[in-house]
Amino acid sequence: MDEETIMYLAFTALITLIAIEGAGSFGKGLASSAVILLSLLTLGFLLLFTFADFVVFPLFTTLLGVSFQPVANYYIVKKQNAVVKNVNGIFYSTGYISANLFAYTFKEERVEESVEDQLRQAPEKWERAIANIHFPFKYHVVSSGMDVQKVRDELEGKRGYQEFQLSRALQSQGTNDVTITNIQRNINMIQAKIDRISQGEKPVATLMYVETTAVGISEKASLDALDAQVKQLQVALSALDVDLTRIEGRELYSLFMYSFMLPTTFEDVAAQFSQQG
Amino acid sequence: MEKKYLIFMGFLGVSVVFLAASITLPPISFLLIAKFVLLLLALLMDILAIMTRYYTPFLIPMMRQRSKRVVLSDENAYWLSTAQDSILRKSGEDFIATIYISIPLYRSATEMSDDEKIDFATQVSRLVSLSKDPARFTTQLYTMDKDVYIMQLREKINELENDEVKASQDGTDPKMVERLRGELSMWRNILDSITSIQSLELLTYAGVSASGTKEYEAVSIAQQKATELMSGIGAVLGVTPSIITGNDLLKFIEPEFLIPYSTVSESLTKGAGEQTGE
Repeated sequence: MDEETIMYLAFTALITLIAIEGAGSFGKGLASSAVILLSLLTLGFLLLFTFADFVVFPLFTTLLGVSFQPVANYYIVKKQNAVVKNVNGIFYSTGYISANLFAYTFKEERVEESVEDQLRQAPEKWERAIANIHFPFKYHVVSSGMDVQKVRDELEGKRGYQEFQLSRALQSQGTNDVTITNIQRNINMIQAKIDRISQGEKPVATLMYVETTAVGISEKASLDALDAQVKQLQVALSALDVDLTRIEGRELYSLFMYSFMLPTTFEDVAAQFSQQG
Repeated sequence: MEKKYLIFMGFLGVSVVFLAASITLPPISFLLIAKFVLLLLALLMDILAIMTRYYTPFLIPMMRQRSKRVVLSDENAYWLSTAQDSILRKSGEDFIATIYISIPLYRSATEMSDDEKIDFATQVSRLVSLSKDPARFTTQLYTMDKDVYIMQLREKINELENDEVKASQDGTDPKMVERLRGELSMWRNILDSITSIQSLELLTYAGVSASGTKEYEAVSIAQQKATELMSGIGAVLGVTPSIITGNDLLKFIEPEFLIPYSTVSESLTKGAGEQTGE
């Protein structure tokens, strides 16, 4: 959780805590219990919204039946999972799936496994996946270079923390071998990244996603076709060992706008994608 | 201070005021309902405050318009630059220009040796880390545009239908009518087979954006970024990338160019006909 999210959560949660504290002013018994219950429900909502806004907001717009028009000729459906365009009575629905391939092919984190094997298999797996897809789709990789010194400092900080955890685990008698192995593996992973940066490799942040468009003679037909396409893509691309989650809510809006303008700084990308991507 | 923080503080402030009023009102029976209403309003404002974290662009128009279709913007999403090599969009006070670069990559893993596969995967990794500024690399599978061919077929069929009607009405040359019917049947079969299968093409391209206070400034910076990216792509993959211009750009932006209208309309009509049992 970043500092900004903590600030938003802290201030809003404070209101509910004050409300709980002030429950006594409603008198004793049922009234004060109702105040505490309402405040706790609000607090629960605040937590849910902080960690899963992509679930809450589509629910909210579906209940209200609200759809959005982000630009002329397009609209985001009330479920917040597709953008629709009507061209002469033909409906084009576009949906997005997160597909972060980074850990698999590009960012070698599993230092104990063979890099060569993974690299050799990657083009074949990709072609095999594409051969099973018979409808239009786009696989996007948004990449952005990062500040080398900043990334190095962060990695060293993380390594220091893991080393501290390891020494604590070794000192305490109840720690099992699995925990120690996990910490050691984390240290190896971080060290491998530091080594690669030391060898001159540029640290890169990436955002990967799949976009697919379905067509139909009505909005419902195109949305149904889109659902089917998304499922097929999830099956076809699962061979690539990626996490394929359908994008909903504000991140759908951001990805849709990427068709017309890409982010110009790394901060722009980082600010928009925190949870699903 | 950013607008979204001001809105957040506004909602939070209103929430505090409602809450304070709710708590300070005496718990007399006729004021109890007012106390609860104020409390509910305070909690509602609190919820709206946290929603401004990500949803300010949605919440404010929602509240203002109070309609089922909330218009965030009714302007066109983009326009083409005068040089037709980039698309432009206004973002706040600035202009954002986006350039698309075609990467002619026609290699298949089936014809690569193991070493070549490793080289290729490494090249792709290097490609992704080429640009310091954000860049997007895309592989796109799209429907081949057969609109022109389909239109020609339809025109040919219409022409033959007219000829057949004329020849039938004349009744002078039955062999001619038979020949026209045969030819008509052939073109109809061709149209059927063309529209029954969607032919797909695979294309790889990159996109890069730049902002500027003036249109030409944004375009110029984007062109500079694109040139740098193109030389990097050329060096890594050994291909000659090129900037995509004019209507070809629409293939990457507009869905109706991804799935062309005439190419799909025939199969959609057929699909609907089959569903309704016609």
